[in-house]
Amino acid sequence: MTEIHVIENYTPEGKRRAFVLAEDRVGHYPEFREFFVRQFSLGANRLERPGYVRASSGMIYALVFIGRSGEPFPDGIEIYALPDALEPLNDSDVDADLWALLRWMIAGVGGEWRVEQLDATGRLYQLSVAANA
Amino acid sequence: MEASGEVRRFAHQQWPYEPNYKRVNGWQMHYVDEGVGNPVVLLHGNPAWGFLYRKFVKPLSAAGRRVIVPDMVGFGLSEKPVREQAHTLDGHIANLTGLLRQLDLRNATMVCHDWGGPTGLGFALSNSDRVRALVIMSTWAWPLPPAEFHKRIFPWRMMHAPLVGPYLLGHHNALAGRGMYLSVVDRKKFRAEAQSVYEGILPDPGSRLLTWTWPRWIPLDESARGLARFEWLERELRKSKFPTLLVWGREDEVFDHATFATRFKELLPHAEGPELVTGRHFLQEDSGEEIAGKINRFLDRIDGKQS
Repeated sequence: MTEIHVIENYTPEGKRRAFVLAEDRVGHYPEFREFFVRQFSLGANRLERPGYVRASSGMIYALVFIGRSGEPFPDGIEIYALPDALEPLNDSDVDADLWALLRWMIAGVGGEWRVEQLDATGRLYQLSVAANA
Repeated sequence: MEASGEVRRFAHQQWPYEPNYKRVNGWQMHYVDEGVGNPVVLLHGNPAWGFLYRKFVKPLSAAGRRVIVPDMVGFGLSEKPVREQAHTLDGHIANLTGLLRQLDLRNATMVCHDWGGPTGLGFALSNSDRVRALVIMSTWAWPLPPAEFHKRIFPWRMMHAPLVGPYLLGHHNALAGRGMYLSVVDRKKFRAEAQSVYEGILPDPGSRLLTWTWPRWIPLDESARGLARFEWLERELRKSKFPTLLVWGREDEVFDHATFATRFKELLPHAEGPELVTGRHFLQEDSGEEIAGKINRFLDRIDGKQS
């Protein structure tokens, strides 16, 4: 679970936001929303700033939290890679980083959700990133 | 129909049917309309499209029936909304209702599979004047929960969990590819003749949204969004008198016939069947022609009784 590191006080400079993944309903299972609230202090900070994490590829990702009237915050999440402004993404690096981010999330959600179950699901669906998990 | 107004056409030797489109409930909905006679409406679920019924269209139309095969909004050649909030169970029932009312179908037989069950039965039970019979395959119509499988984290709940669903089913198209492959009996044949079609009709992550949204509509507890609708489905289905045929895959481990066909039989004691065929959840892939023959004979029996 050391592949993803939360970065505090990050200020992106010379970077662009490259959209890589979105979740419209992070509270479908409420414990997932609670994980992000805990991890990024969203009860206090809410919309002030994205959450930033660094993945093992070295890429930094911004987690942008989405609010909707009538729903607990956050209701959605958009994940952006932050490459150098004019550089294209490396697809396989992003794929591996996202898988690592999911593993980090599941470990953080905890309870009945276990990383071994995510790995087994990845293997069932023959994801290359899960092959050696 | 694309934004340009061009009709989307899917050219394939197994799918030689003219595309038809109606604007329903705010969306462009595609359907096949072949043959003349009392209509038979063939309803697919997740993550399929009308192609699932490719072996049904000719035998049913050749027997003197009008065959309507809609693609659920979000699948196949229909418009694919890009926001999860665009998809609700009631909205999908309304989509189907909009289409079948525009076509002014009467005396329709609703053939319901997977999410084509809750949506097709929802239409039938709220438009009973347009429906004469039901064929029910590998689906459910009651709350809490459909199957033990749906309560497990591995693989079901994990597969569509927050962020995991958009990654696994969106980026990697896992349900239309590997998921369907695991849910047929003759996997070699499926891979050779169909898998790439199901994968290819959902070409990018945005087009696959409904593949992880539908699983989230299966009620797992009392707070579930779809619970009241499923309670209504069960209540109304129990009162219905539609002639009904139950067809189930012998090898279906998720909606196993011992549990699900039996429960439908309890709700609809007058139903014929369950008639078991070779098949897992996507039994149409393994036994398409055989099931079409069963539907023809079932409808012939109804016609005989009514004549």
